[in-house]
Amino acid sequence: MSEEDGGKEYAYFLGCITPNRYPGIEAATKKIFKGFGIESKEMVGASCCPAPGVFGSFDMHTWLPVAARNLAIAEEMGLEIFVTCNGCYATLQEADHLLKKHPKLKEKTNKILSEIGREYKGTTKVNHSIVIMHDIIGLDKLKERITKPMNDVNVAVHYGCHFLKPREVRGHGSSETPYILEDLVKVTGAKEVDYKDKLMCCGAGGGNRTADSVQSLEWTRQKLVNATIAGCDCMVHPCAFCHLQLDRGQAEMNKAFGTDFNFPILFITQFLGLAMGLSVKELGLDIQTTTIPEKLLK
Amino acid sequence: MGDLEEEYDYTKIPPTGSAEGIAAGAPEDSPRIGVYVCHCGINIKMTVDVEDVMRYAASLPNVVVARHYIFMCSDPGQDLIRKDLAAGRINRVVVASCSPRMHEPTFRKTCSDSGLNPFYYEMANIREHCSWPHGDFHKEATEKAKELVRSAVARSALLEPIEEKLVDVKPEALVIGGGVTGMYAALDIANGGYKVHLVESKPSIGGHVAQLSRTFPTLERTASLLTPRMIEVGAHPNIDLMTYSEVEEIGGYIGNFDVKVKRKPRYIDTEKCKDCTPCIEACPVKDIPDEFNEGLSTRSAIYIPFPFAVPPAYTIDAEHCLLLKEGKCGDATLETIKEGKAVPPCMAACPGVIDFEQKEEIEEFTAGTIIVATGYDLVNPEVSAEYKYGVYPNVITSMEFERLLSPGGPTGGKIELNGKEPKDIMFISCVGSRNKQVGNEYCSRVCCMYLAKQAYLAKEQLPDANVTVCFQDVRAFGKGFEEFYGDVKTKGVFYMRGLPGEIYKKPGSDRVVVRGENTLIGEPYEQEADLVVLGMGLAPNKDVESIISMLKLSTSVDGFLMEAHPKLRPVDTATDGIFIAGCCVSPKDITDSIAQGKATASGSLRYLVQGRAVIEPAISQIDEEICIGCGRCAEVCPYGALELDEVRHVMTVNEAICKGCGGCNSVCPSGAATMKHYRDRQVYAQIDALTEVTDVGRLAEPESASAAEVAAEASAGAADTGSETGEVEGAETEAVPSAG
Amino acid sequence: MGTLYEDMVDYGGEVFGREHLETLRECVQCGKCTGGCPSGRNTALRTRKLMQMALLDMREEIFNAPELWFCSTCFTCYERCPKGVKTTDIIRTLRNLAAKEGHMSVPHRMIGVYVMKTGHAVPIGPAQMELREAVGLESQPPTAQHPQNKEQLEQVQKLFRATNYDAMIDFDWDTMNLRGMDKGGKK
Repeated sequence: MSEEDGGKEYAYFLGCITPNRYPGIEAATKKIFKGFGIESKEMVGASCCPAPGVFGSFDMHTWLPVAARNLAIAEEMGLEIFVTCNGCYATLQEADHLLKKHPKLKEKTNKILSEIGREYKGTTKVNHSIVIMHDIIGLDKLKERITKPMNDVNVAVHYGCHFLKPREVRGHGSSETPYILEDLVKVTGAKEVDYKDKLMCCGAGGGNRTADSVQSLEWTRQKLVNATIAGCDCMVHPCAFCHLQLDRGQAEMNKAFGTDFNFPILFITQFLGLAMGLSVKELGLDIQTTTIPEKLLK
Repeated sequence: MGDLEEEYDYTKIPPTGSAEGIAAGAPEDSPRIGVYVCHCGINIKMTVDVEDVMRYAASLPNVVVARHYIFMCSDPGQDLIRKDLAAGRINRVVVASCSPRMHEPTFRKTCSDSGLNPFYYEMANIREHCSWPHGDFHKEATEKAKELVRSAVARSALLEPIEEKLVDVKPEALVIGGGVTGMYAALDIANGGYKVHLVESKPSIGGHVAQLSRTFPTLERTASLLTPRMIEVGAHPNIDLMTYSEVEEIGGYIGNFDVKVKRKPRYIDTEKCKDCTPCIEACPVKDIPDEFNEGLSTRSAIYIPFPFAVPPAYTIDAEHCLLLKEGKCGDATLETIKEGKAVPPCMAACPGVIDFEQKEEIEEFTAGTIIVATGYDLVNPEVSAEYKYGVYPNVITSMEFERLLSPGGPTGGKIELNGKEPKDIMFISCVGSRNKQVGNEYCSRVCCMYLAKQAYLAKEQLPDANVTVCFQDVRAFGKGFEEFYGDVKTKGVFYMRGLPGEIYKKPGSDRVVVRGENTLIGEPYEQEADLVVLGMGLAPNKDVESIISMLKLSTSVDGFLMEAHPKLRPVDTATDGIFIAGCCVSPKDITDSIAQGKATASGSLRYLVQGRAVIEPAISQIDEEICIGCGRCAEVCPYGALELDEVRHVMTVNEAICKGCGGCNSVCPSGAATMKHYRDRQVYAQIDALTEVTDVGRLAEPESASAAEVAAEASAGAADTGSETGEVEGAETEAVPSAG
Repeated sequence: MGTLYEDMVDYGGEVFGREHLETLRECVQCGKCTGGCPSGRNTALRTRKLMQMALLDMREEIFNAPELWFCSTCFTCYERCPKGVKTTDIIRTLRNLAAKEGHMSVPHRMIGVYVMKTGHAVPIGPAQMELREAVGLESQPPTAQHPQNKEQLEQVQKLFRATNYDAMIDFDWDTMNLRGMDKGGKK
């Protein structure tokens, strides 16, 4: 798999939440990538990645072959993968890493996969869409496409957990001093504003949301309040699962506790899309729980 | 696993025994070898049948007597050898026991004390190379031990007597590093009557200790402890103090190290400088972060590092002085100064003392011994990014706090941040230490105590402040330390167990919040603080790379300089005459640093006082009859020990520099260059003895191997276990194994 | 069944390598994990204590503790542990062992039900198909849930059978639900 800028094809691993709950993320990402000559190819028959903190917590010995099957689909297509969810990233990147590192594990996994006529070969690579934007497309090219700069907008950046961590497996540098999302936000002219517990988890992962959704929403509440106190106008992130928790979570909190949260939550390509002149409708920002204020649209 | 015909029961082996060798009765002038097989308590005999090995030894060529004994290195053990020598029974000694690194010197002395040249002594390592690694394989280990003895005996017959060489030792020492360790090393040698060249790269001696406010556990003021010694060093007639200087080159060998020191120019006539201040006030550059104050204050380009600096001289910092860096200060340039026209403000404020014409100078001298005492750097606080050093001004390092505590520091000794007294202070232990993920697995040893000291002083100065130490352990190992730790807590410092996870800025405030778990009650906490002090660990001084390569020093896995033996030789290096001491070896406090400094002085004085040192004699020798003077040996010699004698057109060896690596031997086309005590014929004899094919004790043989294959396998295996001393240069060129 | 530590190293070691899980023994209880844990601030989860309990073979206490499931696997402790203890992976493995012994809540087991039924933990329904059309995408992506990809879904289901996941959560292939549950999720 060689690296070129643009004019490239990737297998877009959709996961569950992006296609089935927040298709705006899928539309935004596909549109932006296409604008830079990157074709997103569908992965026929892909399943749940499966969710790393969830299935990884219940049975790693099941998690791995199901993940390997998804990797094998992309290998058959002869393409590298990109994702728009940290959870999918965690599963596919880590499964790929483990299978490449431990030959015996690969052998054992392929024995199981052979029962369904598939084989993991180790010939694909798992990319997060934000790395493709930052490193393959590049900040300069992105900047050229900004037609509606976000100069007055204060952005709270939320990384989620599984993009940066564990750094020894992901390889994106320090998990305490990241820069990729900040750079992407700045490309639009917006200001990235630090806020208390910027790097903290949204609360959804690891089966926590399912285990105790009220408790998990407390983490979300804290993040939203902190971003608000710091003067942020919206929160931008790279993870569909965080998107669910942060966006839908506000409706859940409002319903359960009578709060009136409506803090705009945007996947990074939705945010970039706005700055590149795409419409709220095209980006699926009108089919979310939270709404986009004028400030982001002028 | 080998066949178990009968169980080997080592307890049945008697404490000693002997057998007459087949060469008993050989003529006086032939090699008459005594072989002594050691049990090493049970270390060897537990796996190796030492009686069997002894009997086997007795059957070897040139062996007149073989004995076994429970502890050969003991006095009665050595007596066995002494008696045989005294009786004239033997003229060669082979001991089959432990590693030569353990007892080669012991048994060589046994021989020389009895009048036998010590180089007639040979050793077979049947412990580290046999009984220990092959503990489960009694039969095979015994056979291997026999092979090792056979090899040693073969070589023994070919050994030659060698006289140890002595070289003169110049009665001068070099000490690199003018911190407390180097100072005390220099003082002991100087007071012992010998000259010391003390080289320090900074403008003043004193090192990091000079930055400390007080020392634990007595809380004495560091300046009062250190300044008298600094003055003594500066004034001592036997100490040639070279500050603002760096060692450029070191050549030579023990007793005669040729040293080149670069003296950096201060641009000030230190004799005339009166340590007053007008030049500092006049200097237009005022914003250089002051290194001595850890960047908490600024200094000018002309400065003295601290008031009690020794020598008490100013220095102009060429990296920041406008005239030196940019060629112009105000209207002045080097030309205008020379022409007596415009001068820079410093010269105007103080005429006749500043001299921009000063140049770097090289001083050369020869030293008998060298002591390396280059100290430490603080670990970079940014390695623990979760504590936000450099992001929040409330978070400072322990050394920065030390400067706040010091009366001569940036706040005159007042603990304050931006002019405000902190109400809540938290100290954090183990930052950058005991941490695999930042690459420093080791403990920095002194932080528990220095944090206790700092916390105590904080509470003393600010009795109403909340002072908390977040700790993992409290290592109060030294004299008075545990008692002091009790006093610290009684004073009101709260020790909370748990390394904090992270620090964040309290929104809308200039305070920070420390998050951690109080592990003793199992509850997470969020504690606000005005000031957080990070207990930074100690790391090896980064600037000593050149010294390491000049002296061919080894470093340990943790990056510190490596001592010759961690327990028995804490200040020696692998090279005689070169010593290391203080924090450059491992983190330690002032007490231990001084003790090590003094230890190296003692080690040096041994050579300086005797005026001579023994040179390892197992080195290169040129046969001048054969040498054609082609110089190939000199090309490969890493030490520069070989030189062409132009007149006679033969190569000559500097016996003091040669380290006996064997490189010359392997490239010499005529065979003129050989190694004393490692002659080709001696080494080949060992190899031949090891590669003899015997019919006992091999591990499972390949099923249909031909004799040639078995022989090839035997020699391949044997080459690995080859000689236990020296290089096997010749083995690479040995084409065909002897058996077939 | 050996000690909890041994079982954990055996089970997790097959995926991560044994040394990865053996790091647990290097824990010095410094507390940096709990110190930065976002869950610990809001729940009874004490990561440090969990590590110690695992070493103390407190199997039942751990398996029955609700807080075992309050870790969001954010990996913050994993990043910061000075001894390199692989905390998050140890917790996941402990959870695996607990799940094998039936300590798995119904909602957690239902996630597996959705994947086995549809291929997705969060399946698509008619309302979400409309959302897709609203942003100009085809109404259903060609994943394992798509009616045209039945063999693909069968592959996924086969995998869950091959690893006995179905048995672990007590899945009934006839009702395509947890055994004893009706469509409304009630027993």
